[in-house]
Amino acid sequence: MIEIPPIIAIVLPLFGAFLTPIIATISRRYDAERKVCGWFTVAITIAMLLTVASMGARIWGGEVIVYRLGGWSPPWGIVLAVDGLNLLIALIVAGVSSLVAIYSLVYMRRDTRIDLYCALLLLVTAGAMGITLTGDLFNLYVFFEIMSISSYALVAFRRKWDSVEAGIKYMIIGSLGTSLILLGIALLYGMVGSLTIADLAQKLGQIAPSDVVVPLALLVTGFGIKIAMIPLHAWAPDAYQAAPSSISALLAGATTTAGLYAMIRVVYMMFGAFGVGTIFAIFGLVTMVLGALMALTQRDLKRLLAYSSISQMGYILLGVGFGTALGFQGSLFHLLNNAIFKALLFMCAGAILYRVGTTNLDELGGLGKNMPITAGLFAIGALAISGVPPLNGFASKWTIYIAGIEAGKAVFSLIAIIMSVLTLAYFLKAINSIFLGQRPKRLQNVEEAPLTMLFPMMLLAVLCIVLGVLPSLGIDLVAPAQGAIMNQSGYIHAVLGGI
Amino acid sequence: MEFGPGFWGPIVATIVMLLGAGFACLMLLGSRKISKVRPSIAKRSTYGCGEEVKPEEVIADSEQFYSPIRRVFKPFYRYIQPGHSGKLNTYLLWVVIGFIAILVAIALVLR
Repeated sequence: MIEIPPIIAIVLPLFGAFLTPIIATISRRYDAERKVCGWFTVAITIAMLLTVASMGARIWGGEVIVYRLGGWSPPWGIVLAVDGLNLLIALIVAGVSSLVAIYSLVYMRRDTRIDLYCALLLLVTAGAMGITLTGDLFNLYVFFEIMSISSYALVAFRRKWDSVEAGIKYMIIGSLGTSLILLGIALLYGMVGSLTIADLAQKLGQIAPSDVVVPLALLVTGFGIKIAMIPLHAWAPDAYQAAPSSISALLAGATTTAGLYAMIRVVYMMFGAFGVGTIFAIFGLVTMVLGALMALTQRDLKRLLAYSSISQMGYILLGVGFGTALGFQGSLFHLLNNAIFKALLFMCAGAILYRVGTTNLDELGGLGKNMPITAGLFAIGALAISGVPPLNGFASKWTIYIAGIEAGKAVFSLIAIIMSVLTLAYFLKAINSIFLGQRPKRLQNVEEAPLTMLFPMMLLAVLCIVLGVLPSLGIDLVAPAQGAIMNQSGYIHAVLGGI
Repeated sequence: MEFGPGFWGPIVATIVMLLGAGFACLMLLGSRKISKVRPSIAKRSTYGCGEEVKPEEVIADSEQFYSPIRRVFKPFYRYIQPGHSGKLNTYLLWVVIGFIAILVAIALVLR
């Protein structure tokens, strides 16, 4: 069997990033830098998506694909290992990156240094893909740094005072997070003497749980910063607001997904610490409630979406925290859905910003007449994230509610339902402020967003409807991932091969 | 998780919702044709404390959109919202508090 797709999926965007400046230099001579760089990025991300998808049949058939770098066997060599969980996250990362690349073709038209933007976009993608596919803990840290450092630069890309400030804040808090992860890995290496996740999982089972408290806390805090879990979320509102909207979509849809994957892989599959689930459920609840209450008072659409992202991450943590098969199923389904509707909503915000020049809710109004397609797509995304049937958010949230009741935590489910109502409330406020009501005079001649920007948004909106009307499709997609979380020994055996 | 008939039949529910929406549209259109009373100009104009305000000049303050809910959660907004000040020192303090909380919680669970 060919085992190279995992390494191809990482190498494609990584080498693509380094090739971009060379391609830009050559195409600049023919005055085609913008088009060539943009389409090159689109081609790379789509090739990466196809590579990841090519592993689908084998993984869903119950296989674990293992690629040994340089032919070295674990635990001495670095391995890439892909099971159902890795595949789901890799599909989300590659899918969102491809759509963001297409969206950026027009959205970044007014910006300079497009070669730098494309290179950084590919580096973020390579980092997220590396986190997702690697079977080595230190390798995971390296890819985490690649993803994070490129993200800091992309947040500050427009070099306005607010974006530079947000970029610096994100860099300092993010660097603190990655430092904690590195410290946690160093402690684990000191204890066990291995860095292969499967080997660590095997050896940590023989250590007293009280001995792993500090490294586990360091790793959870580090990953918690990346997924913006309250109270580690402070970087997110500023960064999401100041970054170009395409990058906000990527951060919300792909990088936080990769961060949550790392958290699940390390806590549940490496430490086997299912008992920690209650902590996740409580932090998830706090994240969900505080995120929703903060979103309710925002004046800026992108800031509102940022707090909404935090709140949705709370739902996902809540389901993960229940620690049951149904809880994981609901969480992973919501993770998939969150990537879809959050990317859609940030792209809609970008379309408004592109045409109007502001996302301040007090300066907008009546745009439904000028931008009817964007208004419709935003409404679909808003209703989906609020959990209104028959859209995808309903199916995944419902699964989480049922999981909570079955796990004997009905109060958690009740609070989650109330927060869904609040989600609908702040999105209705946004719809009213942007698309309904009186249209200011200066917005009379605003035009609909360009088709190249609308295309990825439409695709995401269609997914919101399809996964809502046919939720079994989504459940079937996440079932192998949930199975992989519950089958820790299968992963260990496949990677170590009976060592 | 089953999403079939009996628990949650999404296709049937979607058809019913679409039919309901269509029926509501028909009722709305019908009522507009039947209704003979039209709102007066005074009713259509925006109320601005006795002042004449043109519709395009009206700006609703989005922060006050849900002021009753804000009143219900007054303690939350009084203590938590000022924490989102944008000051990096405060944010780093939150990370430290978060780490200590996670450390203590994990220690209690795994002891």
